[in-house]
Amino acid sequence: MKPMGWRHWLLVLAFLAVVGFTGSQAMRTAELVAYWRQHRDDPIRPWMSLGYVAHSYHVPPHVLYEALGLPFEPRDRRPIARLAKEQRRADKDLIATLETAIAHARPPNPAPAPPVAPRPNDGRVP
Amino acid sequence: MSITDYLLATFVAYGLPALFVLILVSCVGVPFPSSLALVASGSFAAQGQMALWEVALVAFLAAVAGDQIGYLIARRIGRRLIVLVCRKYGFEMRLENAEAAIHRWGGAGVFLSRWLIPSLSPWINVTSGLAHFPWPRFVLWDVIGNAIWVVGYVLLGWAFSDQVQVVAQILGNLAWTILGLLVAGLLGWQLVAHHRAAAAPAGALAA
Repeated sequence: MKPMGWRHWLLVLAFLAVVGFTGSQAMRTAELVAYWRQHRDDPIRPWMSLGYVAHSYHVPPHVLYEALGLPFEPRDRRPIARLAKEQRRADKDLIATLETAIAHARPPNPAPAPPVAPRPNDGRVP
Repeated sequence: MSITDYLLATFVAYGLPALFVLILVSCVGVPFPSSLALVASGSFAAQGQMALWEVALVAFLAAVAGDQIGYLIARRIGRRLIVLVCRKYGFEMRLENAEAAIHRWGGAGVFLSRWLIPSLSPWINVTSGLAHFPWPRFVLWDVIGNAIWVVGYVLLGWAFSDQVQVVAQILGNLAWTILGLLVAGLLGWQLVAHHRAAAAPAGALAA
């Protein structure tokens, strides 16, 4: 039998490296699947809209708008990053406010009622 | 804010036109988070912010267009460069062997890379263009593969609309795992072939 050359050892090293990488990816995938099955919350990111955050965390969207002092708009697609810019706040600060509002709107805390629509004569002197 | 957050925020704010640009540019080869954008767009469709068919159609057209751009650039410009380099260093034979392999396996490579390992797609586009893999066959496999990728990912986002990040992460990890298994299989096969070749003369001597 011929002695193993450097090419053979290079192939062995490459094989071991790929097996290691594949194993770590497979483990990471299994961890993610386990996380997914427990249905934990998706971390809030600056790209998300308030509508998506409300959908993901199963809270009424008006709760999040109220927490940021904004009027509720169902078709609003502004991401958190843009809202933070508009309010001159850091993304992290805004996300922390949303997380607090979500914690207060979830069981055992009851979700606050949606804001009442203003009646035509509101604010007028009869 | 990371570049991924910035790109996805642009998509969330501007909708379908931004989705088109993001998918197109990622298919040309710029590492944009196209899979996460697809899954997220499925989620937005589930929430009623976008129409499911519009999302799927726009993403599909962008993916096919982006792949054609990558293929044509490699075919028109890259081909000349690679031929020059191979002539200079005497690699013409290797180039011919590589071309023969791509002509033989290119269809399967294009098809599987679209939906099974999307991060490989831009590279397959380039190698297909460089090797002058027939354009009609490239388009055929590209269209079928992209249809599976787009519809599959958008529907996953639609079905698991409240957990798009973890779904996209699972898909990404799964793709790398599959790629790793393929490469490990190939290297293992090469190792066995090496071992047999090294053992053969000793066996012959013993006989």
